Amino acid sequence: MKLRRLAINEEGFIFDPETGNSYTVNETGLFILEKLRQGLSPEEIARLLSQEYDISPEEARRDLEDFLEVLVRYGLWKEPK
Amino acid sequence: MIKVAVSGINAVDNPGPGLGIIKGLREGSTPVSVVGLAYDAMEPGVYLTDLIERVYLMPYPSEGEAPFLNRLLYIKEKEGLEVVIPALDPELPLFIDLEPRLSELGVRSFLPTRKHFKLRAKDRLPVIAEATGLKTPATFAVSSYEELQRALSRLRFPVMVKGLFYRAFRAYNSTEALQYFQSISAEWGYPVIIQEIVEGEEMNVVGVGDGEGGHFGLLAIKKLWITSLGKIWTGVTVKHPGLLEAAEKFVRHFRWRGAFELETIVSGEDIYLIEINPRFPAWIYFAVGVGLNLPERLLRAALGEEPERDWEYPAGKLYIRFTDDLVTDLDLFQRMVTRGER
Repeated sequence: MKLRRLAINEEGFIFDPETGNSYTVNETGLFILEKLRQGLSPEEIARLLSQEYDISPEEARRDLEDFLEVLVRYGLWKEPK
Repeated sequence: MIKVAVSGINAVDNPGPGLGIIKGLREGSTPVSVVGLAYDAMEPGVYLTDLIERVYLMPYPSEGEAPFLNRLLYIKEKEGLEVVIPALDPELPLFIDLEPRLSELGVRSFLPTRKHFKLRAKDRLPVIAEATGLKTPATFAVSSYEELQRALSRLRFPVMVKGLFYRAFRAYNSTEALQYFQSISAEWGYPVIIQEIVEGEEMNVVGVGDGEGGHFGLLAIKKLWITSLGKIWTGVTVKHPGLLEAAEKFVRHFRWRGAFELETIVSGEDIYLIEINPRFPAWIYFAVGVGLNLPERLLRAALGEEPERDWEYPAGKLYIRFTDDLVTDLDLFQRMVTRGER
């Protein structure tokens, strides 16, 4: 999976060694990326987000979907089939 | 101390590779004394006395083989020249033809063959692409107005209009395409290349082939920032397995000898070959900076030694080009103009 090869630092700077592209994410983005890399499903991550940031499960799911859409657009993540 | 001549010391807005090569040689473990080969007294390298001990003006390659060889023999006699590393396209055919004679006279080089050199013509790209598993943008070689129109009818605008070896323009409509077709054919002759534009990441590979199918190192980079002339200003090292594999196939299939650069566009899973250069690129110091001293490895190959072959390099190293200023006396310029050397 493409996410695994990314170099991610703790300040949210991300470098893709294959394409040379770099990105920045905020703390929440970093949290999601780490969980995705650990192999957690979007459902599990939404639940953790809701707990971590004290928001409703619906809001967590919505925000997560927005973020995943961006990852898909940049070719960094694909929805598991 | 090895006496080595290097050309392409024109570090201008479209820089030659010479200074990068020389910086690499100077940082290598083989002690060198550098002779610069210039085509104009104003080439900045002429004035960089710390990097280049001696400089000679060369006759233009278009003047023919005899004046070129005579000048090299004169430099050989005066300097005790042992190796020459040519770095500019227009002089390469002469150096390739002269290689056996120069070698007999004690001036060694490590160059591609004539056959290799011809592969750089843009209408030969599909041959290389097929051998390496790369793709090429849809390309038409056209030599008349009718052929141009036929090619344009099969492509979508914008398209690239290119000379066989030099010049490239982006045309947004048929009027522009015709204009570029005319200006390129007037300057460089036929055929003119009409090419589909492929969108993606511009990535290049530099390497040195050993002439037997192996190589003395490869480096892949992505251009992050380019000048209005399309020249790299900042770049980053990348590790694109497909691209590096294709570069190895290229070296293996053609048994490439000497320096080369592959210019590609990576679009998702597809890698398109755009250009091949049979020499070091102007950004060659990038390789030296990440631990692959390809100029020194090429020097050692020219000397008949066995250079290192390891080519582990980190992804994410940054290359920054910058401008610099120098103030000097008129003396050097004067000597170049009156004596043709300094």
